[in-house]
Amino acid sequence: MTGLMLKYVGLVDPLNRWIGRIVMYGIFVMMGILLWSSISKTFFLPSLWTLEMAQFAMVAYYILGGPYSIQLGSNVRMDLLYGSWTDRRKAQIDAITVLFLIFYLGILLWGGWDSLMYSFQYGGERSPTAWRPYLWPIKTIMVTGIFLMLLQAISELFKDILRLKGHDVGVKL
Amino acid sequence: QSTIRWRMQTYAGPALAEHVLDPAIEMFNKIAGDRMQIEVFYADQLVPTGELFQAMQRGTIDAVQSDDDSMASPTEVTVFGGYFPFASRYSLDVPVLFNQYGLNEIWDAEYSKVGVKHISAGAWDPCHFATKDPIRSLEDLKGKRVFTFPTAGRFLAQFGVVPVTLPWEDIEVAVQTGELDGIAWSGITEDYTVGWADVTNYFLTNNISGAWIGHFFANMERWNELPEDLQTLFKVCCEQSHYYRQHWYWGGEADLRVNGPKMELTSIPDSEWAQVEAAARVFWDEIAAESETKAKVVEIFKTYNAVMEKAGRPYRYT
Amino acid sequence: MAYEWIAILMFSSMMLMLLTGQRVFGAIGFVAVVAALFLWGDRGGYDLGFSAAMKLMKWYPLLTLPMFIFMGYVLSESRIADDLYKMFHVWMGGLSGGLAVGTIGLMVLISAMNGLSVAGMAIGATIALPELLRRGYDKRMVTGVIQAGSSLGILVPPSVVLVLYAMIARQPVGQLWLAGILPGLMMAAMFVLYIVIRCRITPSLGPVLPKEDRDLPMAEKLRLLRAGLLPLFIFFAMMVPFVNGWTSLVESSAIGALAAFAAAVLKGRMTREVFENSVRNTLGITCMFMWIILAALAFGAVFDGLGAVRAIESLFTEQLGFGPWTILILMQLSFILMGTFLDDTAMLVIVAPLYVPLVDALGFDLIWYGVLYTITTQIAYMTPPFGYNLFLMRAMAPPEITLRDIYGSILPFVLVMVLALTVVMAFPQIALWLPGYVYGF
Ligand code: NA
Ligand code: NA
Repeated sequence: MTGLMLKYVGLVDPLNRWIGRIVMYGIFVMMGILLWSSISKTFFLPSLWTLEMAQFAMVAYYILGGPYSIQLGSNVRMDLLYGSWTDRRKAQIDAITVLFLIFYLGILLWGGWDSLMYSFQYGGERSPTAWRPYLWPIKTIMVTGIFLMLLQAISELFKDILRLKGHDVGVKL
Repeated sequence: QSTIRWRMQTYAGPALAEHVLDPAIEMFNKIAGDRMQIEVFYADQLVPTGELFQAMQRGTIDAVQSDDDSMASPTEVTVFGGYFPFASRYSLDVPVLFNQYGLNEIWDAEYSKVGVKHISAGAWDPCHFATKDPIRSLEDLKGKRVFTFPTAGRFLAQFGVVPVTLPWEDIEVAVQTGELDGIAWSGITEDYTVGWADVTNYFLTNNISGAWIGHFFANMERWNELPEDLQTLFKVCCEQSHYYRQHWYWGGEADLRVNGPKMELTSIPDSEWAQVEAAARVFWDEIAAESETKAKVVEIFKTYNAVMEKAGRPYRYT
Repeated sequence: MAYEWIAILMFSSMMLMLLTGQRVFGAIGFVAVVAALFLWGDRGGYDLGFSAAMKLMKWYPLLTLPMFIFMGYVLSESRIADDLYKMFHVWMGGLSGGLAVGTIGLMVLISAMNGLSVAGMAIGATIALPELLRRGYDKRMVTGVIQAGSSLGILVPPSVVLVLYAMIARQPVGQLWLAGILPGLMMAAMFVLYIVIRCRITPSLGPVLPKEDRDLPMAEKLRLLRAGLLPLFIFFAMMVPFVNGWTSLVESSAIGALAAFAAAVLKGRMTREVFENSVRNTLGITCMFMWIILAALAFGAVFDGLGAVRAIESLFTEQLGFGPWTILILMQLSFILMGTFLDDTAMLVIVAPLYVPLVDALGFDLIWYGVLYTITTQIAYMTPPFGYNLFLMRAMAPPEITLRDIYGSILPFVLVMVLALTVVMAFPQIALWLPGYVYGF
């Protein structure tokens, strides 16, 4: 069991880290789209697609980047009690409360999956705008990101269990 | 017997819904009493408008008030909802088209296919431009970022308009933050009612359609579970809502053009605007070529408008 | 079960979940989806969590969030502000408490360049804090100054909190930003006044800088003033096209981010490490905000679906029968109270939608209320146990500054902020004059 958990963590963490480190350059993609939007508006005709494209980029950025942000410990916790606990106590409590997080992500995935399947039906769901992009690409990204987030949350659970078993799996954030 | 509870979401924000939806639902709730109560939610409140249709199919939302176009219903008739360019001249055209020319049957069949009950269609206001800068010629349309319906936007793009779709409730602020130069979404009554008249300066008297087509829908299972008398009551209240809008908009359009203090009226000369009308006929044929159902609807629009034109005044003036 | 009770149950279970120390977005999201399943699970209901993500996608002003965060990190990581600090150091050092006063000045300039308080905190903690400690300044005075000063970041434009507020209250961001300027400057002036008076009474809190440290030739002193041009350049590069309507809000934020990036490159400060840290931290902080807002939106939709807005309205106006001002004051108090326990972003997305319609119904100006709201948020940022500025200070402060010091340092500044809040409440024109002047009404 321990070996399986170690293997899982060794697989999921690097994968999410790798994805996160690519996605983090998305800030320049967003910047580029928005700058093009102001340039095209000032000098030519405004573009039809910029705002929506920037929104897609933003969604991809924060959803695919989510697991890496967990690894970085960016997601704040209310540390009134948590802050004063020992690492061991933190791991104990976290190993239970992370199940709530996993539940939330599971429901999110369920809704996302349904919405994604819907976007393939009826000849492909399109955004109700004049540009009319198909919605399945962004929904695929969203569902993938939520799924990766779920994998990362499970990895956090495994790491806490491993910590309690005395393994060294990195600093407790 | 416990009370039946429905959740209904409209595409309209609270300020508009106060006229176009609330009175009818209050009436329904008063009459139905303990037997059934409908709770109203406004634009994007429970689910975003883009997800509204599937939420109704699933049953998270029981009933919806919207046009086909802005909620992107997955049917063959989506493009005709909202403002199909120049399909109607007056708000009475819409109920005639649905009740006397066969659109009701087409809509009913299309929505039944996707598990949704089409309850009834009604007319709303004409589609005019409300903008920060004046429009006096087709040239002035070029480069304007305008909030409009998807199909109207597709049509208007050929005149240089840049159609933008945003959540309905964000429009007023988007005009102020510079995301939009104007709005092509409604008549002048709505401009005043929802606050758009406060953030724009000009109202173009030429319209691209004389009346919006909006509907009431319900989740099919939920609808079938209702006893017949409640179904009838619901239909009657929808009709009442349509009727209220007929006089509310019609009166408001005339009154605010004449007495409204917030917007200056401008016009594009009829001769120039004829280009837009001609382009609409080409657009109709493009749409008709897309499918059999669409061709059927376009044919009905053509037949109807031909009758109106031959009838002459007061039906058509040119 | 009556809807009011479900609402109360939801709120209290969220508080309880937060207390466990689980990540804030997980705690809120869990309560939201469980409530949705419980209420509407017989048919649908499970889709509410995800439809919040679609709603969030359409909230276009949120695009400013990563831009402002990136700006803040570029500014703090590249240490562009070092020169700025030197400028204040030399010009203000002669005054008792002068370095603290200079730090407030530094914070005002940094506030004008970024939309959060993170950058101000980081710059204050890395540049000003060690320097002030070395000069024998009282450590409580110093930590208080930096926390209070950096909170100006959300009141002086650009401001992410005001963008979020604008979306919820449906008010124009431009006017809200302009409305924040004078109250922000007023509050800065009140901080300065406090520091000066306090150091007049107890000079040991902020010793005068030795003469040789600040006795530069006048030409050199004037040259240092040029450092102040940089923030002005970035501020105007962003604000002028926006206020004139040449670029939209989100486009302007991208211009601001580009301007800050260009400034760092031109000054030769954009090293590999600075680049890496700015890009990575921007992702981390943006994700934190977005996932919290995502969860809070789902929570808010359920809350809204329960008719919580109507319940709160009837509670205040009908059941308690209070007048408008009493209600307004009670709301601010409850905000501060909740802000001590709740995550501030979540609070904004969950509580503001409940209060804003009520404020509107009471006949108050929503632009003015946005400023009151932001000042209250600033206070919440600093009050223990839950406050971003507290967290950051704890993370960034050197070991000789204990938790007790940090908690103890904020009290006088919070009192000053409450005073500022009261003044803006009593004289709405402080907030409303500038937007009225610029937009002409
Ligand atoms: Na700021
Ligand atoms: Na707090």
